[in-house]
Amino acid sequence: MSLSPGDGAVRVPIGPGGAAGGSRGRRAVGASPGQLVWLRLRGDRTALVSGATLMLFVLVALAAPLIELAYGIGPQDQFQGKLDGFGLPLGHAGGVSGEHFFGLEPGLGRDVFIRLVYGLRTSLLVAVTAAVLTAVIGVVLGTLAGYFGGWLDAVVTWITDLTLALPFLIVALALTPTLTLRLHGQRDAVPPAFGVGVLIVIFAVFGWTGTARLVRGQVVALREREFVAAARASGAGPGHMLFRQLLPNLWAPILVSFSLAVPQFITGEAALSFIGVGLTEETPSFGRMIYQSLGYLQTDPAFVFFPGVLVFALVFAVNLVGDALRDALDPKSPR
Amino acid sequence: MRPRVAVAVSGAFALVAALSACPANTGGSPSVDSGRQPTGVIATDPKDSTGPAPELAGARRGGTFTVLRETPISHLDPQRTYSFAGLMAVPLVARSLTTWKDDGAGNLTLVGDLAETPGRDVNDDCRIWEFTVKDGVRFEDGRPVTAREIAYGIARSFDPDLTGGPTYLQEWLADTPQYDTAWDFTANRGSLPPGLTTPDARTLRFEFARPRCDLPFAASLPSTAPLPPDRDTGVNLGNAPFSSGPYKVTRYRPGIEIVMERNEHWDAGTDPVRHQYPDRFVWSFGATPDAAANRIIADNGTDRSALSWDYVPASLVARVAGDAALRSRTLLSPTPSANHLVINNERVTDLRVRQALNHAIDREGLVKVLGGPHVAVPMTTLMPPATIGHRAYDAYPAGPNGDPDRARELLGGQRPELVLGAADSSVEQQVATQLKGNLERAGFVITIRNIPDDAKFDEIKKRGNPWDLYLSSWAGDWPSGASILPVLYDGRAIRATGNSNESYFNDATINAEFDRILALPPSEQGPHWARLDERIMREHAPVVPLYVDVAYLVHGSKAGGAFVSSVFGYPSLVDAHVEP
Amino acid sequence: MAEPCGLGSGPSLMARFLVKRILSAVLTLFAVSVLTFLMFFALPRDPVSGMCPKNCNPERQERVRQELGLSDPLVDQYAGYMLGIVTGRDLGGAQGGRCDAPCLGWSYVNNEAVTDTLVRVVPVTLSIVVPAAVLWLLLGVGLGLVSALRRGTWIDRAAIGFTLAGASLQIYFVGAVLLLVFVYTLGWLPVPSYTSIFDDPVRWAGGLVLAWLSLALLFSAGYARLFRAQLLETLNEDFVRTARAKGLSGPAVYGRHALRAAIAPVVTVAGLDVGAALGGTVITETTFGIQGLGRTAVDAVRAGDLPTIMATVLVAAVFVVLANLLVDLLYAVIDPRVRLS
Repeated sequence: MSLSPGDGAVRVPIGPGGAAGGSRGRRAVGASPGQLVWLRLRGDRTALVSGATLMLFVLVALAAPLIELAYGIGPQDQFQGKLDGFGLPLGHAGGVSGEHFFGLEPGLGRDVFIRLVYGLRTSLLVAVTAAVLTAVIGVVLGTLAGYFGGWLDAVVTWITDLTLALPFLIVALALTPTLTLRLHGQRDAVPPAFGVGVLIVIFAVFGWTGTARLVRGQVVALREREFVAAARASGAGPGHMLFRQLLPNLWAPILVSFSLAVPQFITGEAALSFIGVGLTEETPSFGRMIYQSLGYLQTDPAFVFFPGVLVFALVFAVNLVGDALRDALDPKSPR
Repeated sequence: MRPRVAVAVSGAFALVAALSACPANTGGSPSVDSGRQPTGVIATDPKDSTGPAPELAGARRGGTFTVLRETPISHLDPQRTYSFAGLMAVPLVARSLTTWKDDGAGNLTLVGDLAETPGRDVNDDCRIWEFTVKDGVRFEDGRPVTAREIAYGIARSFDPDLTGGPTYLQEWLADTPQYDTAWDFTANRGSLPPGLTTPDARTLRFEFARPRCDLPFAASLPSTAPLPPDRDTGVNLGNAPFSSGPYKVTRYRPGIEIVMERNEHWDAGTDPVRHQYPDRFVWSFGATPDAAANRIIADNGTDRSALSWDYVPASLVARVAGDAALRSRTLLSPTPSANHLVINNERVTDLRVRQALNHAIDREGLVKVLGGPHVAVPMTTLMPPATIGHRAYDAYPAGPNGDPDRARELLGGQRPELVLGAADSSVEQQVATQLKGNLERAGFVITIRNIPDDAKFDEIKKRGNPWDLYLSSWAGDWPSGASILPVLYDGRAIRATGNSNESYFNDATINAEFDRILALPPSEQGPHWARLDERIMREHAPVVPLYVDVAYLVHGSKAGGAFVSSVFGYPSLVDAHVEP
Repeated sequence: MAEPCGLGSGPSLMARFLVKRILSAVLTLFAVSVLTFLMFFALPRDPVSGMCPKNCNPERQERVRQELGLSDPLVDQYAGYMLGIVTGRDLGGAQGGRCDAPCLGWSYVNNEAVTDTLVRVVPVTLSIVVPAAVLWLLLGVGLGLVSALRRGTWIDRAAIGFTLAGASLQIYFVGAVLLLVFVYTLGWLPVPSYTSIFDDPVRWAGGLVLAWLSLALLFSAGYARLFRAQLLETLNEDFVRTARAKGLSGPAVYGRHALRAAIAPVVTVAGLDVGAALGGTVITETTFGIQGLGRTAVDAVRAGDLPTIMATVLVAAVFVVLANLLVDLLYAVIDPRVRLS
């Protein structure tokens, strides 16, 4: 968990032998592990409620263009006529009306609701993609290090240490504009997708260490176990060993770190906006909206409230689902 | 955990309800007086330059006056300072050859500070200037200030190690922009740069190869502050400048605070503008403009006698302006910082396109983006209204919201594709988004290209930069057209990098006009600059004038006497005092 | 992995482990310094232009560049900088002359020796992070303990729910609201600021308490969750059961055995977190307007201030690397089951 200095990001740690405390004993149960987890999750009301909320968020994000069509207002449309001389929205609660569900942005006068809908899309896209990449890098490196050991292990461990020692925000701050300048002509429009891509890459490069450590630990433990030793003794190649014997036993820690990474990246995007890196004005995103809204706490509280509550709800839902998932995956869970 | 979710959800609804219960915002338009007529003269009567400055009614000695500012002052070394903060702070600890008498409402008189008069043009050709140093001006250790220390101060501004600072005097004396090669300070510490002499202890003489009619103005910058050679600590002088002003630096903690306390050897009788009311000034750095404004509004403890140096942030303007109780604690004044949408004239060569750009801008909407009339006032001239002799005109009437139809008409069916280079700072991104909307409405196709905030300043100063449009602002070093129009629009000065002429505008007739006006006596130049301003806009439209910055500041209930400098648009502290 | 070996296997093993770890740490720091250096020169910002305002010309810029040594080959610049840390070096008149070891260079933006900058800002960051860490550990371990002891009850759920909600907030959001309510509106707390603890401990605490609380709220969640899981696990382990069987009472079991074992992973994570946070709490510092290591580093990147970037990044890396090392050692001391590898 190396989003250091990560005071903007949630740094929920994964302890060695923590929640994903190993797979011992799991096979003894009659139901398959997957079924067992599903049963446990279904019995957890919190998990169901937060899971449903999360699904709703994902649906909204996916359906953003449809919502725009039904709503009749685009994310770049301006309504400055509905602002007062200070550039603040006229009317109640930041200009909330039947036409503008969450009111208007001060200044440019864009619609908050539709920008949040698109912002959700951006934030989820960044967080989920980065989390997937993180998991892939972490699993590959962790497995290689754990399984082969020796110098490979030493190298991976050292790269992990190095990544942890590099200050995330500083590197992101330095790299984002540099990458844009180096990869685009000076007169070319930089597509919003590029900004999103850079963000994903930065998160992926810095976010994999936790997963790698966790997976490495698991693999080291598994390597010595009977069924793996048996497979090895029967002459299985490394490919078979890795994909058939080890990976199926790693999905618990992978899922756990994935559920931790997603909220971390959602808030990470916001933290980057806070120091002035990240996405451009034209790309609606949660981070940028929250960052720009904070100053209006006294003059337009509704503008702070809607993005703030939405991000909290999203991150809280992911955290709750993740927590429930960890409980469900943990064979010794008391619940 | 379900009950908790329910609580959270109902809490959210309660908050929405509470928000809706707030009174509806029904508008009402704030207004700022920006139409004041600036006047500016060079004092002819030596009495104007004598002290003491008239006492302020109700001002009292004593107390600590605090200034809150986010970023530290880059240099306190008089020869190196060039930021607004430095230009306003240094005069407290260092006197210069001349200075401005300023009532904070645009009435300016240039008077002698260390000198008895604002300079004597010996042959009336602006080539030889003499200044007579006042009797009784002293350093903080009590020794008298003579022409030699002033000359040494100017000499050390040639030192290439002492980066920053204005370069007018150096370039004029050496008659070349490469002044530090023309005269090497380090190798000639005992002597003076070419053209600078001290015929006697009280006379300072400048001899220039060409007429330099603006010398009295240039001499008002802190780079003419005196320094005894034995007190020159090189790059470290900024930590403890050797004072000739009413205060001296007694504590310097880089990045945190600067404490200035009374200089007992300063004689009010010699100083036409400064007072010495507070026991000390404390410059406190680090508070964001937001935090500073909130602290001042709260008015607790030492913040009661504090001033927030940074303008009230746009998001808080409505809060401050809407609070009648705060009215007596705010300063509001237009500044000389003029903001333009600069057109790269080497790329956008079609005059009609540049004129169409001028017609297309919705200045009222732009002011809303910036935070209202307490932050910005629309402008249609090249020089800001705070310039001596300024005359308002609108060469391309667009109404408050722009005239896209007129712009389309001028474009005659073409749809120019232009790239707008914008810094990636939050405010500039919003402004760029707004301008893009305006221009596309008028038939342009605009691409916003982000430039890293800190790099933009240099990039747009490179000739042949790849952008068609960019935002830029300019504030002259003195309120004369001479420090604005020739600096920004004289095409002969265009070089590869570091251009102030960011529009790369070059027209031989206009260039000749610059030469003609610059040779006039400075006190007569005003109306000529104003006429030239309008001519450039009507004939060439090299930029789109957008707005002037407005200074909107809050101070504590006991912080008195601060006013917005008519020269630089930031608070002047010469009258500052702490009320009982 | 090397062969397993307990802590009791002799001091030589411990020494070998230490030497290996220290070598790896030095190598890490070296790599960090090289990467930072290269990163700086890839920046689109020319540091010289900042020192050469309005009337600058290319010749003068070039001179300033030479004066600062920015036109030397990269390798020379890097070697000069790193050597300066060990031996000190002469920086020339524009940069304050002689710079004694440990010389971290001269900041042409702050106009001071970078060592002085660090002496000023590192205590600020320490003052934010260390008390905050104590707070978040207490809060996290306390809540974790309570929910483990009362597992399955509403207390358990409330405690975990509270920490998860806290972890879902963001510091700039919490900070802005806390500031508005407690500082600007109610006036209960002083404006956040840094005063040295040696000058005035009360003002020191008063000025930083909001930052501590905000950080604690955000960080404690992970610890509560982790400690709870650890405690439940260790309570099931053999040595605890043995202790129970020996007739030890509940508190003794918890105190002497289970807690000790469960705290080890918490210490690990805390060490890493504190190490990372000491590298700079950029967002916290910005939110509360306090100039610590993090904000200094961000400002330096923005201004293209190479010596300050190098120094802040290196110091941050030293904190992380040291924390890593310490954690490994502590872990060995606390947890009897540890393997040194």
